[in-house]
Formats: sequence, C-alpha cells, structure tokens
Amino acid sequence: MDEAEVLRMENIYKEFPGVVANDYIDLHVRRGEVHGLLGENGAGKSTLMKILYGLYTPDSGEVHFEGERLDMDSPQDAIDAGIGMVHQHFKLIPRLTIAQNIVLGSREPAAAFRDPEGPLASLRASSLVQGLASRFTLGLDAPEREIQELADRYGFDIDVSTKVRELDVGQRQRVEILKALYRDVDLLILDEPTAVLTPSEADRLFETLEELTDNGLSIIFITHKLREVKAITDRVTVLREGEGVGTVDTAGMSRADLARMMVGRDVLFELEKDEMESGGTVLEAQNLRANDDRGFEALSGVDIEVQEGEIVGVAGVSGNGQKELAEVAAGVREPTAGDIRVGGDTLTGASPREFIEHGVSFVPEDRHETGCAEELSVMHNAAMKDYPDEQFGDGYALDYDEVGAYAETLVEGFDVRGVHEVREALAKDLSGGNLQKLILARELSRDPDLLVANQPTRGVDVGAIEFVREQLLAQREDGTGVLLLSEDLDELFDLSDRILVVYEGEIVYETTPEAGERERVGLEMNGGQTSMDASGGEQIAATDGSGSEV
Amino acid sequence: MEVDVELTPREEVPAWLTYGTPVFTVLGALLVGSVALLSLDVNPLAAYETMFVQTLTSEFGVSETLIRAVPLILAGLAVYLPMKADLWNIGAEGQLYMGAIVGTWIGLNVSLPAVALVPLMLAGAALGGAVWAGIPAWLRAKWGINEIITTLLFTFIAADIKNYLVRGPMQGGFGGFAQTDTLPGVAQLPAIPGTNVHSGLLVALLAVGAVGLLLNRTRFGFEITFVGSNSEAAEQAGMSRYKVYLFVLAAGGAFAALGGIGEIAGNQARLRAFFAPGYGYTAIPIALLGRNGVLQMTLAALFFALLFVGGDNMSVALGVPAALIDIIQALVILFLITAEFVKRYSVDVSLKRGRPVPGAEVATDG
Amino acid sequence: MVETAFFTGLLNATVSASTVLLLAGLGELISERAGILNLGVEGMVLIGALSGVIGTVMTGSYWLGFFIGSLCGMVFSALHAFLCISLQADQSISGIMLTLLGTGLTTYFGQQWVSANISGFPQIPFPVLGPVLTEIPIVGPAVFEGPATDFIALLLVPTVWFLLFRTNVGLELVSVGEDPETADTMGVDVFKMRYLAVLLGGLLAGAAGAHLSLAFNQLWATNMAAGRGWVAVALVIFARWRPSRLLVGAYLFGLFNALQLRSQALSLTLPPDAPLASTLNPVIEFLLNPTIMATYPYIVTLAVLIATVVWSDDHHSAEPDALVQPYSREID
Repeated sequence: MDEAEVLRMENIYKEFPGVVANDYIDLHVRRGEVHGLLGENGAGKSTLMKILYGLYTPDSGEVHFEGERLDMDSPQDAIDAGIGMVHQHFKLIPRLTIAQNIVLGSREPAAAFRDPEGPLASLRASSLVQGLASRFTLGLDAPEREIQELADRYGFDIDVSTKVRELDVGQRQRVEILKALYRDVDLLILDEPTAVLTPSEADRLFETLEELTDNGLSIIFITHKLREVKAITDRVTVLREGEGVGTVDTAGMSRADLARMMVGRDVLFELEKDEMESGGTVLEAQNLRANDDRGFEALSGVDIEVQEGEIVGVAGVSGNGQKELAEVAAGVREPTAGDIRVGGDTLTGASPREFIEHGVSFVPEDRHETGCAEELSVMHNAAMKDYPDEQFGDGYALDYDEVGAYAETLVEGFDVRGVHEVREALAKDLSGGNLQKLILARELSRDPDLLVANQPTRGVDVGAIEFVREQLLAQREDGTGVLLLSEDLDELFDLSDRILVVYEGEIVYETTPEAGERERVGLEMNGGQTSMDASGGEQIAATDGSGSEV
Repeated sequence: MEVDVELTPREEVPAWLTYGTPVFTVLGALLVGSVALLSLDVNPLAAYETMFVQTLTSEFGVSETLIRAVPLILAGLAVYLPMKADLWNIGAEGQLYMGAIVGTWIGLNVSLPAVALVPLMLAGAALGGAVWAGIPAWLRAKWGINEIITTLLFTFIAADIKNYLVRGPMQGGFGGFAQTDTLPGVAQLPAIPGTNVHSGLLVALLAVGAVGLLLNRTRFGFEITFVGSNSEAAEQAGMSRYKVYLFVLAAGGAFAALGGIGEIAGNQARLRAFFAPGYGYTAIPIALLGRNGVLQMTLAALFFALLFVGGDNMSVALGVPAALIDIIQALVILFLITAEFVKRYSVDVSLKRGRPVPGAEVATDG
Repeated sequence: MVETAFFTGLLNATVSASTVLLLAGLGELISERAGILNLGVEGMVLIGALSGVIGTVMTGSYWLGFFIGSLCGMVFSALHAFLCISLQADQSISGIMLTLLGTGLTTYFGQQWVSANISGFPQIPFPVLGPVLTEIPIVGPAVFEGPATDFIALLLVPTVWFLLFRTNVGLELVSVGEDPETADTMGVDVFKMRYLAVLLGGLLAGAAGAHLSLAFNQLWATNMAAGRGWVAVALVIFARWRPSRLLVGAYLFGLFNALQLRSQALSLTLPPDAPLASTLNPVIEFLLNPTIMATYPYIVTLAVLIATVVWSDDHHSAEPDALVQPYSREID
C-alpha cells in the first residue's frame, strides 16, 4: 500500500458563539487506508468533517489534499477536489429517483450535446451552446446507465430508476455511497454509517469499504463505537472536547485504551448487579400489534412481561419494531390489537396521561424530537409531565415559582451541567449527555413503577453513559420494572435480567445474560440465519438454549 | 474591489437593539414614506406633524385613536394567541367580518332591552368568529391541513358573504347603498362615562388581561406554550395538541369577531361593505411586534391605531391619498423583518481588494 | 333559453379571464416549487398592471408596455426574494407586506392614470393555424382569437413544464424546494435557484397584471386585480403544483369568473308552476348571485385541499417538502 499522505489538515480552528468546536486539530490520512475518527458527541468530529467537506470554513488552519492547498467555499468545491461524504442522515430527496438524486448538481447536458460528433459538432461543442445545454436540457440516459453499472459492480442490488422514497434504509445508504463513487472521489468520509444497519448489513459495508480501499480510495470513518474502530480501521485519530488527543495504529490498542483516550480516564465497563427477588408484575401485554408512522405494521403480535425490580432488555436493530414496542408500552402509541395491563389495570387504548398517572415513565429514543421542547427553558422541560401535580397550584392556576424550584432540585440531583438559571437556559443549549440526564431526572423523580427506556445511552458521552446505567440499576433495586431497549449488546448483557430479541416485529428469542449467548443474540437480531461476522469467516450454527451445538 | 459582507450569529441581543427596534422600525418607515410624500409635492414634516402631533394633542384625535385601537387589539389577540401555539391565524379579517355580521343581525332583529341585547350580540358574534376559525382549526388539528391557507381562503369567502348580505338580504338604509340599517339605540355599545370612547375598549382590555393570565399563570397556558414549541413531545407528555389547536384558534376567532361587532355596535352603528380597512391583516405585524408579551402587543396596536387616525387626518388636511397609510404600514413590516435579521446576526460590511478565486491553486490534473 | 352566442361569449370570457390566473399561477407555481411561498401576488399583479399602463403611454407601444409591466413585477418581487432568502424572514409576513405595499403604492401613484387613454392588445387570430381554427363553430372564435397575451399564457404552460421537469435547472429548482440542505450538498446554488424562482414568479405576475390592464381591460383602475392574485395562490394548491393541472384549474376558475359576470343572462330558474319551484328558485338565485359565485374558486380549492389529504392513498403530500422553510448553511 502506498504510504503517501493523501490528506493533511493542519491547525484547524473553528469557533461558534460560546463554544470552540475545533481547537487547533491536525488530521493526517494515508492513501488507501481506513482512518477512524473517534470521539464522544460534541468532541468536534462533525465540525471537522464539515470543514473538510466545504460546508464550513475554518477560522484558521489549512487543508492540503493530494498535495495541493484547498480553500473551499462550498460542498461543490469539495466534490470537485475529490472529497465525498456519506452522511449519517441521508441527503436524499425522496420525490426524485436514485439517478436524479445522484446526477443533481452535475448539470449533464442531454445526449445530443455530450461529446458531440457528427453534424454541427463544433457548434454543439462551443462553450455557449454547452453552457445553455447544461442548463436547459437534462442528460439522464447515459448517467443512468453508468450509475447502474457502478451499482451492479459493487453488488448493491438496486434499480436506479426507482424513487428514493420507495427504498429502505440500507438501500438508501448504498445510494449515498454510490453518489460519492459517481463523482469519482479519492477520499470518502463516512459519518456513523452503521447507526441504522443490521449487523450483516454492517459486515457488507465493511467488505465494500475494503474493496474500495483496495482500489486506491481513502476512507475516513467517523464513529463513537469502539468495536467498529477495532473491526475496520487501520489507524484512528481521537478527538476530545474539540482537541486532538492523538493518532494511533488500531492494531495495538484495546477498547479500554481507546476509551481512555476519548474520555481521559478509565471507564468502567462492568457494573455491579445484585440478585433481585421477583415481585409483582408491572407490565403485562399480549398479542400487541402496532403500526409505524407510515402506517405499515411494525409490531406483529408481541407478548411481553416485566416484573417489579427486573430489567428486561430488548435487543434488535433499529427498524424491527423496537421503537413501536417502546412507544406502545409507554402509552404514547396506540396498538392496533392486543392488551396492555400496567400494575394490574387494563390500559389498552388509554391516553398518554393515563399511562403517566399509572406510574409509567418514558425515556424516548429521540431526545430532541419527542423528549423535550428545545426552544423552551430547562424549567419548562423539567415540568413537562408533572405540571398538573397539586404541588404546583390549585385548579387552573400554575405557580411558576414552585415549578422553578422543582426544576432546580432536578438539575442538582442529577448533575445536569450547563444550566446557570433554570428559567433562562434552554434545552437546546444542553449537550446530549446533559439533556439526557435532565430527561432522566424528570422521568425518574416521579418514582415510576414502570420505566421504558429506548436507547438511553445513544449519542451520550461516556461519562454520562455510566451515570445513566447506574440510574437504571438503582431503579431496579428500588423495585421499578424496567423495559430497556438498546442496540448496544454490551449494555444489555451488563444490565438485563432477561434479554428478548425482536426481529421484524416479533419476539424471536429469549435468554439471560448468564447463558452467555451473545453470538446467538446477534444472530437472532438478524433473523436467525447464518452470517459472516466482522472478524471474517466463521459460520455460526444454531444452538439450543443451553449453548451446546446442535 | 469587492464588497465583503460578514455575518456572525449573535450570542446575545444587545439592549439597545431590543428596545430600539420599534423606534428604528417606525423611524425608518416614516423616512421612506416621506419619499412618497415628496413625490406628490407634500412636505413630509408637515404631513407627519399633522399625522402624529396634531392627532395626539387633540381630544378628538386621542379618542379616535382609542376607538380604532379596539378592533386592532382584539384582532391582534386573534393572531397572537394562536402564534403561541405555533399556528398562524391569517384569517382574522374574515373572523372579524363574521362577528360583525352575526352581531349586527342580532342587533337588528332581536328585540330585548340593552342589558340583554348587547351581551347577546357579543356572544353571538364571538360564536360566529369561533366557528369561522374553528373549522380551519379542526382541519389543522385533525388532518394537519395548513392553517395559513385555510384561514386565508375562509377570509375571502367571508368577505364575499359580507358583500352579498350587505347588498342583499341585510341591506337597509336609504339610497340602495351597500350597508344595513342603523342599529337601534339599545343595540349600540354605550360610551365609557366621561369620554367619547365606546365600552368596546373595556372589552378589548379585558381580553388582553385574560390572555395574559391564561398564558402566564395557568396550566392550560403551559400546555399552549409547550405545544407551540414541540407538539410531538407535548402529546407524549399527555397534553392534547388537538385541544390546544382548537381552543387557540377558536378563541382567536372569537376575539377577532368581538373586534368586528365592537366596531359596528360601538363606532359605526351600521354594517357597511367596507367598514374595516384591513384590521385583520394589520393584526399580523401587531402580533409580531408584540411577540414577547400582551402588553407589548397592545402598545403596537395603539401605534397602528394612531397611524390610521393620523393618516385620515393627514389625508383630509393635506389632500394626501390615504393609501399612504398602507404604504407606511407595509414599510413598518418591512423594517420589522429587517430588524429581526439584524437582531440575530451582526453584519460587517467592508471593502476588500480583490482576492484570488477560491481553490484556484488546486491542480486540475490527475 | 340560452343561445349559442351566449356560449361563445362565455367561452371567450373564460379564456380571457383565465389568462390572468394562468400567468400569475404559473409564476407562483415556480416560486413554490422552489420552496418560497409568495403571498404578494396580488400586489405584484397590481404593480404590473399600473406600470404596464404607464409604459404603454410613455412609449406608445403596448408590447413595450407589456414587457415593462412584467419587468416591474419582477423587480418588485426581488424585495420578497431578498427578505425571505437572504434575510430568512417569515415568508407569509413578507408576502402580505408585499401585497399591502403593492396595493398602497399603486393606489397612491395610480390616481393620475385612472383616466388614461390606452389602446392595448387587439384581438388577433392564433398564429399560423389561427385562420383555420377560428372557423370551428362556437369554440373557434372564442378560443383561437384573442389578444396575443392569451396565446403567450397558453404556450407558457408546456414551457414551464419542460423547464421544471426536463432541464437541469428545473431539476435543481425542484430539489431546492424539496430539501435545500441536500441540494446544497450536491453543489446546487440554493440561493441562486430560489432567487431565480421568485423573480420568475414576479415576472409572470407582472405579466398577468399587464395583461389585465392592456388586454383584458385596457385601462387602469384602482385595485383592478380584484383578488385575482389571491385566486392564483389558491389555484396553485388546487393544481397540486403541476402545470397541467394548473391549466385545467385556471380555466375552471376563469369559467366561474365569466359566469359571475353573465349570471343575469343565465336564466336557469324554473318556471313558477314547476314542482318545487318556490323552494328551489331562491336557492338557484342564491347560487347564481355574482357575489356568491365569487366564492366558488375558494370553496373548490378548499374542497380539493381537504379531499386530497383525507382520501389520499399514498401518504405523500403533493406539497414541496421544504415549502415555507428558510435555508441557511451555517445554522446549527
């Protein structure tokens, strides 16, 4: 492999009101390598890449690519230079076809004007005509063919004339990669690409990446998942709080080493868990069916039970019904069939308020969309569910002084940082971890009987992750029944008493952490078929619950 | 040479900007308006003097301003309250018409003593406005249909209904004009004792107080605020977006309607085709100017009332077409918008020597 | 009861009335496709009408007047473009402000032009095929003979369709209205495209106004747009942002308009001795009252709006996804 440097970012400094996002960071990427960019949320990875991709301009610092200095003003400049980005949130326009999406912006003229030969060739090739043609015609046929060829070559299995809104998540990601490939990039930036993929799709992605690097492409792989860094990267640069901590060869580092670099101290991965006696049943649901936001069935007949003082973990890849299961259990989504009983009372079809009054607390998957009102103050968000309580006023009136005091106790009790005044600090000003702590404070201070937590540690910095997990265990000790949905198998195995696996809207497997069936769980999350795992090559046979091979 | 415009988002809005905005906005509008005046050979200073100073220093001017403020305050509330729930009520004008229609009809056709008749008229008007706004509210709450479009369409329909009624079934008076009969004395709003201003002003001020109380001191007000910020989270927290949307728009419609009947029963005593010079539309910048509180909104309404009255005054005294008021109003909105922008970003404009085209040094081979 | 001359006249009036709506509607369609709602159409139409008259009188040529009117509409819309795109102002407010400003300015400055003598667009046959097509009974003279602006409007429909859906610029314009951030990432100049869309919208709205004052009516009168600008906004929604449907809608709304003006001639009431005459006749009269008929475009638009949402099978809205949302690159 050619060891020459393909990208050199030097002394990048970028400041926003109130925060230094990049504090004189260096990044060096070698040709043909997969270079990881690791850091917690808010470490500056996203800003650094947006600078590289032309969306931002650095306040100071230089970018050198393929030996030349780049001064980019727009993503177009980056594309022209050969830098492509595959975003975490896909930049695709649903109403347009795949080909249209990919061709957008390149201003291909119609076939008659492309490399004209024959009659009037010189006229058609003149800059004036070319200029007009690129604007006022649409060259789709030839590009469509080329894109389809590219897609087939890498085994993407998509028809490029379909509208994007008809594609699933995995397919859309492939379109994103295709976009970059079509523009002939030399450096590809991938931003948390596995966030929405099943493990087997992630493996496929890694294979594709290997093939791309074999062909001379260089890749920057942004992630906060230590496991992935170990799996796919050659070297990794770690960022912490806007500063570069260092660049290391992945091979010699353990996950603990990398975590230490990210956080600056040792992070515990093991947590103390006591044996709990089982008590009454907090949640009982039979035959739950529910639709997702688009109206398609996402839950297809689920039975589930949570006892007092028990953490039931639900493993599964995003898109298989976990979100809907969490929302149905928490009472914010109405099931299309089935029964739900909370603490013995039937709550099927009840309103969210009734669930809240029956002691159900909910930490949703998407903090910003449904967990809080960003533009409102911390005080408003703290009282989001409890404002009808008597302590805040009689009848119709609401005593904001009481509400403010309550918010303050929450902030102090749960160590929510970044709040100087609960009435002035806005929810959007809090970092991901602190916002999650606030939400947790709000949900737990009500002393719930049932806590539904969906991806509670996603996008949260390592320090806050510890805190959240400790809180979940504390609730368990207190006798709360916890329904924990997570994509993080480590987390589930560390915290749960029982683990359920959801796949395509059904519970397909149940086990306990003690049985040690980590691989089996990972398998069932994907439908129970045999697959290649990331370390390459091992076929995993089905086992029965006891762990011995059948 | 190149003009370079640097925009940096502001972290805080400096005090002079927050307090100065209304002042600068108005001054700017008046300044530009003076261009229009000059083009008609009118001395701007004389015109503005007539418009503001003369109006405010005469008893008639002050009472007229307060009278005009009544529909403006109420229409302003009609836009303001839904705005808190992140809804745009562009149809205050139509709701105003409906209130005027229903209230006038009751006043003309129901015989009751004033003590019962006037409240009945007000209640009927409020109901009419509430229903007129309630339908778009329901369409938005249940089906998610954009209320900007629906309230606007409903306004045009209301305007045509008003015109039809006033030239047809409800036509009265003499000479076949587009107006109704005069309201009987019992149906007219009494004046506030000791002034020439009708008691509609009290209704308006009560409404302002009610809205302020609602938003700042009640649980429902908390819900309105929350729904206005993130309706999805509010739903999950047990609040009802449906209820909030229906309420704020229906209430808004009721307020606008009260403004409509207030103007008829308090000021004009009969429903004419063109009785309201776009109060419902003026309500929009009023609500925006007063976005931070009902008190600010009321002040804004008073200012626009002054504009209207002073404009009429100026029109009569100096022969300047009253359309100048529309122009100045539009300019106020224009400068308001610009001020919003300046509040969010600090703008640095500088002249620089030509700089090299970005990326020019990037080699094009390979 | 009703003669063929009536139909010809009705058709003629329909085509004429629809031209204004077509022009303004196409302009608004383009603007909204790029994500910018322009509620200032009424104001732009008025500006186009007045400046068209002024231009014609000054230059002595109605063609020049027409172009001047269109240009002035475009310049006026530049204000909306600047406010909404560069300053990210609220689009509804800016639009209403524009209408207010346009109405105010034209009323204020237009007083002196109210009695101006204008010879505007004459009726001519449709180019090339005209003389033949006008021979078609009833329909012929109505549709294929008229001011040149009618034909321009008609020809613009396929032109706009081609521009939006068969050119690169059109693809970019549509993308900017669906998802400006994505388009920006793809190297599309979002600002430029949105400006282009709004300015085109202004140009066409100005043209609609100029047609009003130079072809349809051949005079200037205060507020002569009489709400047609608003109807155009409703029309775009009715047409679900498609040029072909816009054409249908423009003719439908134009028909309403034409019927309005002719409702006296439409004696559709039942003879007094027919069954149910006494109940039905008042209803019919009510429905045919010109002021009531003025509401039909709005009611029809509402109906379509509701129907498409309530009964749509695919859960995709026809509305451009980013309509009414401002875009700025470095907003966090």
